[in-house]
Amino acid sequence: MFLSLKEIKKEKFRYGLIIGMIVLIGYLIFILTSLSMGLANQNTDAINSWNVKSIVLDKDANTSLTQSLITSDAVKKSKITKNEAYLGQAAVVAKKNGLTKESAQYLGLKENQFIAKNLKLTAGHNFKKSNEVVVDEKFQNDGYKLGDKIKFNSASTAYTIVGFVKNAKLNIAPVIYGNIDNWLAIKSLNGPFRASAIVSKNANFKLKDNQVKTYSIANFISKLPGYSAQNSTFTFMIGFLMIISLIVIAVFLYILTIQKIQNYAVLRAQGIPSRTLVSATLSQSVILVVSGLIIATIFTAITAFVMPAAVPMSFNIPVLSAVGLGLVLTGLLGSLIPIKIILNVDPVSVIGG
Amino acid sequence: MTTLQLTNINKYFGTGTSRVHVLKNINFTAKKGEVNLVIGPSGSGKSTFLTIAGGLQTPTDGTVQLEGQPVKSMSSKQRDAMRLNSIGFVLQSYSLVPYLTVNEQFKLVRKVKKENNLTNLSLERLLDKLGINDLRNKYPGELSGGQNQRVAIARALYTKPDILLADEPTAALDSERVVEVGKILQDLARAQNTAVIIVTHDLRLTDFADKVYKIMDGQMSLQMAQ
Ligand SMILES: Nc1ncnc2c1ncn2[C@@H]1O[C@H](COP(=O)(O)OP(=O)(O)OP(=O)(O)O)[C@@H](O)[C@H]1O
Ligand SMILES: [Mg+2]
Repeated sequence: MFLSLKEIKKEKFRYGLIIGMIVLIGYLIFILTSLSMGLANQNTDAINSWNVKSIVLDKDANTSLTQSLITSDAVKKSKITKNEAYLGQAAVVAKKNGLTKESAQYLGLKENQFIAKNLKLTAGHNFKKSNEVVVDEKFQNDGYKLGDKIKFNSASTAYTIVGFVKNAKLNIAPVIYGNIDNWLAIKSLNGPFRASAIVSKNANFKLKDNQVKTYSIANFISKLPGYSAQNSTFTFMIGFLMIISLIVIAVFLYILTIQKIQNYAVLRAQGIPSRTLVSATLSQSVILVVSGLIIATIFTAITAFVMPAAVPMSFNIPVLSAVGLGLVLTGLLGSLIPIKIILNVDPVSVIGG
Repeated sequence: MTTLQLTNINKYFGTGTSRVHVLKNINFTAKKGEVNLVIGPSGSGKSTFLTIAGGLQTPTDGTVQLEGQPVKSMSSKQRDAMRLNSIGFVLQSYSLVPYLTVNEQFKLVRKVKKENNLTNLSLERLLDKLGINDLRNKYPGELSGGQNQRVAIARALYTKPDILLADEPTAALDSERVVEVGKILQDLARAQNTAVIIVTHDLRLTDFADKVYKIMDGQMSLQMAQ
């Protein structure tokens, strides 16, 4: 620690550059991670807010909520408790003259079931009358107000916005919660259908019907259109970025070490134990990486503060800490490579005669 | 009492036709309390001799013994410890750590060798004698060549070594300082019973030596013993 701190103090510019580089790498990775988390959350925020464990879908719907329909017959044969809730999904384009159209997900709910009862409104009140809806805050950000009347697709029926909810996103689209009795009409369907799906807080909930199947929520989320592809794209990007930063940091530390080889030779000639040299090198890497990451964190926090709400970013502290820890380990790994050089440095070859 | 003994040392550099025989069958012993001076022209093998004597470099053949123990039989850890505790090096160049101030050079030693160093008072006196006490907060890069050399000498003496190996310690010093350094090294041999070995082409130091060797084309011969 003594040696590493003294050296940084003496060579402020050189180490400043390295810290600057680590700041940029850390910032890039933090922002990318937050963006990927943000996008992932936009797929699942609504589902996560319900706290459910399983979902019942038509077994031929390929785990897709959009393709699934559950008949009234199938429901009648089973017992629906307070742990289950109906979900009637319809993809809609919501519009009001003078405002941007919103591609949204209409989710019909039964107002006495737990999803409708537990909606966390940020403004207004829950839907009561059949043509009332509660919508995601995205509508508010785009200029919609409480009391606004919206229409879906080309239908003429008007629905009144009576409340806003936060984080109601399903598959990147804002959610419109409304009465399930309107769902079939909005979906332009006729038939003996009760819902698109039934979600349950009970992992083992089953309907006594051959045409439906129960899926775990994790399984259902992984099959959301595009979700897995997006996530693996981001995971690979972040993974490659980590590997590239490992190489960049390692190369920098290597060059740095080569430049300092004379210093190590002097220390070795003086008989300073290798342990001291190794711990000086490792602690120096940790100091550089950690201080770089602290600054990157500050930058990320500032970014989070000034970023417009429309950009999907989610600053998940545990995930970002894990990424930060990964970078520290990366730095340590990078500094382990030159250690071999330090241990093998031949004092004579550099000190000369 | 013999402290450092080199027996039948040969050192070759390079291979094939470019192979050079730098040290030729050298036998050398240094006793505690003695100042040994090895004089030779540039390229004669002085630095090679000194670094082999201090275990920084291994001879092609022959043995180096410290207090009767062959250096070859020591682990690299033991060699580090030996250099730290028993040997003081004043090297021809790069003797100091560039990013530590003069004060911190000593502080570093204290961190790895906690005992049996000079007391603060003795260090103060030594720095005074060498005329560098007011340079304590300077970095080596801010010192002249001669000042650097004097700090390196103080640094080598700080651990109270059994053996002091110095390579051209007076190259950048004026005659007054040469006398001062000569006296300090002589005092060191007498007072602390240290074996002092200086390699140099500076004939001004012969006055302070107990034994003077000459090295020429890798061959060493005793010139004078008091
Ligand atoms: N690592 C090496 N590889 C090849 N040749 C070397 C090496 N080190 C020294 N030599 C050669 O060995 C000879 C003696 O070198 P050495 O450094 O011991 O001389 P010196 O007496 O200290 O000279 P000076 O007074 O200039 O410091 C020189 O001819 C030098 O070129
Ligand atoms: Mg030399």
